[in-house]
Amino acid sequence: MEYGSIAREIRIDAAPEVVYEVVSRPEHLREWWPDEAELEPVPGATGVITFGTRTSPDAKVAPLTVVEAEPPKRFSFRWVYDEGERATAANSLLVTFELVPSGTGTLLRFTEEGFREKGWEAAVLEEAYRDHVTGWDHFLPRLVAYAARLASTP
Amino acid sequence: MNTPANIALNETVDQAVNKSVDQAVDDELWSAVGDPIRRRMLDLLLSGDGGTATTLSAQLPVTRQAVAKHLGVLGRVGLVRDAPAGRERRYEVDEARLARAVAQLSSVGAGWDARLQRIKRIAEAIQRSRED
Repeated sequence: MEYGSIAREIRIDAAPEVVYEVVSRPEHLREWWPDEAELEPVPGATGVITFGTRTSPDAKVAPLTVVEAEPPKRFSFRWVYDEGERATAANSLLVTFELVPSGTGTLLRFTEEGFREKGWEAAVLEEAYRDHVTGWDHFLPRLVAYAARLASTP
Repeated sequence: MNTPANIALNETVDQAVNKSVDQAVDDELWSAVGDPIRRRMLDLLLSGDGGTATTLSAQLPVTRQAVAKHLGVLGRVGLVRDAPAGRERRYEVDEARLARAVAQLSSVGAGWDARLQRIKRIAEAIQRSRED
């Protein structure tokens, strides 16, 4: 994808049905990501994930909206938007887990995209910095071309 | 209770909270560099060994006032520093801050790598328990 996305693939020795539960059910989410998760894994449902102790004033609560829930194939949600707003492509990140049967296990494809250009920035800045260490001469013409291409992308 | 385990747990929570604060800062950083004009400005500042709002606007299709506003955004997240230069202010890129920004941006991917490893461990443990 041209702009903002992280993509990963991981092979898991567990059936897609099991992996689906782990990525979508709050009791499992708590084990691999936030400290608390309140979420109904059905399309359109909104929930919250909490980092830190919920009763603590420092706890960080993030809203989350389920986009797709197709067991055992696909689970996606939007997050990183302001509480009280409706999650859209313009104000949030879309996380997608795609589960592909692979032998007796599962190939889990993960993407996070719609970075308000963040992911794109990550790549560009990283490259910018690396090249900056060795000199900007090689890099500048490319950055300019890349920026122009991005600017002309609707 | 102040058992060693509790102290360790509290430290972990503190770290998690600090991380959240960092993420809020990252958001500002990311939106600061999310604008094509501001990226061009960083570019010009790096290649031209700094510049003023006037020299930058001469090289960009925007007014000096707009450039000054963009420089303010970059300054607030610490990506540029300024010093008086005659009647104007001269700006340069804070390279340490740029390096930190790059490291933070790369860590977004690393965070998901760790989560995916945990997903794998949990799913495989459930699978094994169901087969037993």
